[in-house]
Amino acid sequence: MSKVTIFSQSCKGVDDCGICAFVCPEQLFKACQEMNAAGYYPPEITDPEACTACQNCMIYCPDFAIAVEKDENSSPSTKKPKG
Amino acid sequence: MTLSAHPLKERYARSHIQRTTTCPGCGIGTVSQAILRAIDELGLNMDDFVFVSGIGCSAWIPSPFYNADTLHTTHGRPIAFATGVKLGLPDKHVMVVSGDGDLTAIGGNHLIHAARRNINLTVVLVNNGIYGMTGGQTAPTTPRGIKTITSPYGAMEHDFDIAPMVVAAGAAYVARWTTYHPRQMTRSIKKGIQKKGFALIEAVSQCPVQYGRASKLGGAVDMLTHFKANSIRLAKAREMDEAQLAGKIIVGEFCDREKAELSEQWVRLRSEMTEDK
Amino acid sequence: MQHNKKVQTGTHFEMGNWACTEGALAAGCNFAAGYPITPASEVANFLAARLPEVGGTFLQTEDEISAICAAIGASWAGCKAMTVTSGPGISLMQESIGFAVATETPLVIVDVQRFGPSTGVPSVGLAGDIVQVARGSHGDYQIVALCPESPQEMFDMTIRAFNLAEIYRVPVFVMGDGFMGHMREQIAIPPEDRIEIKNRKIAEPAATVLERQDFQDVNVAPMPVFGRGLKAHVTSSCHDEHGMRNLSDPEVMHRYTMRPIEKILKHRDDIVRVEDDCDNVDVVLVSCGTVSRCARAAAQLARSEGLKVGTLRLLTAWPFADREVRRAAEKVDHMLVLENNTGQLYPYIKAEAAHACRVSFLGPQTLGQIHDPKYILGHIKELIQ
Repeated sequence: MSKVTIFSQSCKGVDDCGICAFVCPEQLFKACQEMNAAGYYPPEITDPEACTACQNCMIYCPDFAIAVEKDENSSPSTKKPKG
Repeated sequence: MTLSAHPLKERYARSHIQRTTTCPGCGIGTVSQAILRAIDELGLNMDDFVFVSGIGCSAWIPSPFYNADTLHTTHGRPIAFATGVKLGLPDKHVMVVSGDGDLTAIGGNHLIHAARRNINLTVVLVNNGIYGMTGGQTAPTTPRGIKTITSPYGAMEHDFDIAPMVVAAGAAYVARWTTYHPRQMTRSIKKGIQKKGFALIEAVSQCPVQYGRASKLGGAVDMLTHFKANSIRLAKAREMDEAQLAGKIIVGEFCDREKAELSEQWVRLRSEMTEDK
Repeated sequence: MQHNKKVQTGTHFEMGNWACTEGALAAGCNFAAGYPITPASEVANFLAARLPEVGGTFLQTEDEISAICAAIGASWAGCKAMTVTSGPGISLMQESIGFAVATETPLVIVDVQRFGPSTGVPSVGLAGDIVQVARGSHGDYQIVALCPESPQEMFDMTIRAFNLAEIYRVPVFVMGDGFMGHMREQIAIPPEDRIEIKNRKIAEPAATVLERQDFQDVNVAPMPVFGRGLKAHVTSSCHDEHGMRNLSDPEVMHRYTMRPIEKILKHRDDIVRVEDDCDNVDVVLVSCGTVSRCARAAAQLARSEGLKVGTLRLLTAWPFADREVRRAAEKVDHMLVLENNTGQLYPYIKAEAAHACRVSFLGPQTLGQIHDPKYILGHIKELIQ
């Protein structure tokens, strides 16, 4: 499917920012219970299986706090291989 | 494989810079990602670039984050500095990233003339409608009527329509997108980088802390919702009248043309003049 | 004149502005940006024609601010860059002068001074900017300013300016004026192999800038020129030795200001030049630039009448020739400062000399018209009575 990694320490919070939650077509984000070191509540994915690897969250996040890896079975990435 | 960082940050950021310094929900980081994605998709690397930025929140996109030659200049002047860099290093991509206050207020004259002389620069102009870094003063892009800290009775002036202005000044490529359109923004930035001429990509971006409050538009999500609801493609906008377009954000490619570029002409002239030696 | 030749070896009878252009080219200048302004325009006009002949680039900008900014950008791209203007242009450039100092950018700025204040009289010379070039930008800093007194020296000192800029990574001013810029005199240009050229040291690659000192070395850090994969970070914000912005550590703030100052003052003996011709005299005439011709003529006139008068010419205005002025003051009874202005260097000279001798100032009878040697002599006679 896909693998979503949330870099919690980089995040500025679902309440204060919330862009990932807004752009996720499957509405998979909700705030964690635990604050990060900067005092923000990062998101967590409610249902990883439901992620379609659209990469919206990764592309919109202003803090480079989310990465989405597609696996081979998902639709081709628009990114060219490096090098 | 566990990722230790966002792939673009991994590839393009200075290893000792860990944090983004923007306010929560600020669109600047989305624009920064759009730039890095453009560079990545073109198969270019940081050593192919020199980044030049002015003063303001947007100017912090390349400085200190990007692991590349970076020139962080005085307010309003990045285009002037970048012109000298490009003439001295014609084989490098010189990209200016700065804000609407920096590039159209104090730096307006440099913007107009760089477009006119068609020097091969890619300018990403982040337009958030306000002077954010200094606390929310009126910008040339703040709509009339908005109350800011320097227009407490409501802004009385009219605001710039930047993209058409830069087209009129003579730029080779001009596009405008909002932070609601990061993929289209990346496509336009790629085109701008590859364009042999002055390319401007106006990136309308949310400033929830200053502009969001002044305009009462709200937070980041409210502002992105506003961008989504009010963005009109250029082709469609041409069929609408002024009244229908009030308050709308026209997005798309405003011009894409070929004309003699300055740094290339200098390479040719220098080579012709010194050929006989 | 031979087109396409970088160095116009031979004897010429030309104006100072021409000599300045040829000095720049002989020094290896390959980028100039400028904006038309009297009495400096000829330098830009000549550069526009000559630079492409030697593989260089000329940019006429939309204003003086973009001229100096483009020159700084070109310097960071690896060029030997210059800009040329007059007093009003220097006033506009002040912020950028500070930028060049703070980022340790090699740069030559030719100032063909005019009569001020403000628009004033464009084609009349006045030493109107002699303090402006050193003190006009905000904050504390040191620059280098050279004071030619002839078209020949406009050639020689422009070469020296480029060399000093390269060695010390600092903006260097060539202080011409309307008289010298437009005056024609004999200029001897030596063969190219007899002209000494200095080039900046360039930084080595490193994994990150944290492993390299790009700034704030009092013995001059190698410059991380752009376009070579050095990933330099250059900012005019307060920064550390690696170029990384730091607005919170007081020690970094201190070094950001002090180290570039120390860099120049530590090497002042290499930079400062004077012509000391005041041994065994009672009165010394101190001057720089065009007025030095009047000073020498007055001294000669005085000696022909049996008076013991000598001269001290400052070939560099900045860094200030404090030791040289003090040494001269300790040899004489009177120090008379001659400037074609209302006394801009005078306070600095007096501060160094007043403990040892009487110090006074004499401007020209009519400001903008340089001193008549007989007028100076008359004043000397009054002084020594």
